[in-house]
Amino acid sequence: MAKPLAGIRIADFTVHNAGPFCTHLLSQLGAEVIKIESAMRPDAFRKPHPVYGREGPATFDQVASNKLSVRINLKKPEGVALAKRIVAASDVATESFRPGVMDRLGLGYDALRAVREDIVMLSVSSSGQGGPDSHFAGYAPLFGAWGGLGELTGYADGPPVEIRHVMDHTVGMNAAVALMAALHRRRETGQGGQVDVAAREVAASLVGDMLLLAAAGGAPARMGNAHARMAPHGVYAAKGEDRWLALEVDGDREWCALAALMGVAELATDPRFANENARRLHREQLDALVTQWSCGLEADESAALLQQAGIGAHASWTTPEIAADAHLRSRGAIVEVAEPDGKLRAAVGVPMRLSKGAEIGIDKGTPALGEHEDYVYGELLGLGREERRSLEEAQVIH
Amino acid sequence: MSGAVTEDRRGPLAAFRIVAIANGVAAAYAARMLGAMGAKVLLIEPVGGSPLRREPPFLPSEHGAKASEQSALFAYLAAGMDSEVIDLSSAPGPETLALRLAGADIFIDDTPVPERAAFGTDEAAVAALFPGLVHVSVLSFGAYGPKADWKGEDVVIQHAGGEGNLLPNGLAVEMFPDRAPLKIGGHFGAMQGGIAAALGALAALWARPDAGGQAVDVSSQDAMLAVGAFAIQRLGDGSIEHRVERSFRYGGVIPCADGYLELLTLEQRQWDGLVELLGRPEWALDPALGGNIERSRRGPEINRHIREWALVRRVDDIVSAGQKLGVPLARYKTPAEILGGGQEAHRGLFQRVEVEGPGSLGVLVSPFHFEGRALALRAGPPVLAHCSAPLAVGS
Repeated sequence: MAKPLAGIRIADFTVHNAGPFCTHLLSQLGAEVIKIESAMRPDAFRKPHPVYGREGPATFDQVASNKLSVRINLKKPEGVALAKRIVAASDVATESFRPGVMDRLGLGYDALRAVREDIVMLSVSSSGQGGPDSHFAGYAPLFGAWGGLGELTGYADGPPVEIRHVMDHTVGMNAAVALMAALHRRRETGQGGQVDVAAREVAASLVGDMLLLAAAGGAPARMGNAHARMAPHGVYAAKGEDRWLALEVDGDREWCALAALMGVAELATDPRFANENARRLHREQLDALVTQWSCGLEADESAALLQQAGIGAHASWTTPEIAADAHLRSRGAIVEVAEPDGKLRAAVGVPMRLSKGAEIGIDKGTPALGEHEDYVYGELLGLGREERRSLEEAQVIH
Repeated sequence: MSGAVTEDRRGPLAAFRIVAIANGVAAAYAARMLGAMGAKVLLIEPVGGSPLRREPPFLPSEHGAKASEQSALFAYLAAGMDSEVIDLSSAPGPETLALRLAGADIFIDDTPVPERAAFGTDEAAVAALFPGLVHVSVLSFGAYGPKADWKGEDVVIQHAGGEGNLLPNGLAVEMFPDRAPLKIGGHFGAMQGGIAAALGALAALWARPDAGGQAVDVSSQDAMLAVGAFAIQRLGDGSIEHRVERSFRYGGVIPCADGYLELLTLEQRQWDGLVELLGRPEWALDPALGGNIERSRRGPEINRHIREWALVRRVDDIVSAGQKLGVPLARYKTPAEILGGGQEAHRGLFQRVEVEGPGSLGVLVSPFHFEGRALALRAGPPVLAHCSAPLAVGS
């Protein structure tokens, strides 16, 4: 049995991270994703990125892996025509340019619908396809800033915090959900359609409860690692340099269990900590007591003890710890992929397990630029060798 | 804001029905996302109601600052759902649930695995009784694997998934380098589990004509890790990220006279625009700063200049002028600013719904538009045991 999305083909015009992560997820679920780029405008990971200290192309690009690559020069009318032929053979077209760019290229929704009536077109942008800010340029930290997530992240006495690529990828995963909804509707009604995902609204949707509180007259604010109900709750120093334990004590039973673990059972009956309200009021004293205990133990050791006692906890893991974790590997959340030279490296899998069908996840690494043109231009579109050579000479396939 | 739900705004999933046992954020968020896109959602609550109803902060009441009994979190997550109270711990609870599942396409469940058999909701029992049902399990560490029995909500998920250790960055870590790492605000980690569960549900539903129903196992830890994938990618490149060094070398969070803005210039033309915005000061015209590598090396020096310049200016003035020059800039908007924002109003991001206690409030609907139109919620959060219409068979 095939992967669940086998048979769905996506013409992928997305760039940067948010849109490509969407199609990357769908490709791991079985969709055939044709990544459209060109030598003049290659994927960002084919270029140096000195801000990150990378002086050359990346050997592995998570969000491009599992995709097919073709070159098309969209600046030429013949390139646009070629792109439309791919769209005509696809179920979905995805893009993440600023609003209006696809129209100017001649690849807007109406143009694509003219070649494939039931096409589902997904547009991912910073602020949505319409509205006074729709022309704004943006990256992940700006989405978080516009959407309130950045403002509500931070120490209570500090500034807001920049939300990095997790923001981009959250937008991408949201976009994948919306796209699947549109495909279901197409299956139901036969109608394609336009899906418009606004990245800043994705950020806002993650703090929708706080926006509702503000709408009712409340004043939500940054609260660090604190919780509105639970205490102790937060991140506590563990044994060793820069080692930390994430801990949350949910209710009186767990508080008593923690007090026992800490070897100070009398805390369980201390009136300052008698119930959640009292513990919240005396949070600073409580945090100091927990830290006295936690800093004497390895974070993984204390987390295991806490979990055995029925208390939610985990070491604050670094990336190497995550990459090596048996639990994550057993779930396929961390997988091994092969570099072009055959060397294996850790990558992130699709975050779910299905009980039926072929194994989902990454089957192949980052494609070389234009690696799959024999299949796409030859088998799929039926272009002959001469026609392809002519298009290459005209720098349409370029 | 409009409360009316017309036929053409019901959303693309209007044909589907969902039953959710959602005592935590992740499962509830999955159901919320699908419900906002038109699916009809029945929330199964225990006697006394979902624990989410008891999560503070509570919304201020309609006529004053006094808090109502309405949880902001529950009101947001459950908006548009129906509610039914079923005591699954005794008869006829499991039988009643089975009747509801018989009429559903998707079942979302965050009951801990060891408790499921007694409810009749373990994977094997559901598969046997409801062969066409998509059964989505959403747990913090998943239903399978060495840590499947571990528990944890947002702060635990974020640190088990890696991003927790990598925050804060930029200005916050400059100011407080010795403090504990910081989680992203709200319920970010748990919601990742919800988003992944929504995707898994729709993917499995897509395969249903060929494969029949099936089980989908989602872990919020996995989902948190997935959105933080670049840290693993960088590890493979030979680089271990740390929150202190992870900041962009210049730009980032910039304090202004009336708030904060975010500045990020990754491309040369954006840097050129920034220099224009700053008024072409002498320091910025240094030819050595023409290249990205040197700018990254001298990031702290550049930021000192930018911060000095910005501190006496208003955020909106800078953002407006900068965006015209193609410089990526954004205000760190407060919730009140988002609620009153012109862009949000234009997009119909908020819809007025009735919330018992506080009254009529604008609630965020969805970040998705279909065919150029905002979606619409069916209603506000349900009163306990309020069901607008029976899901299917039995009642």
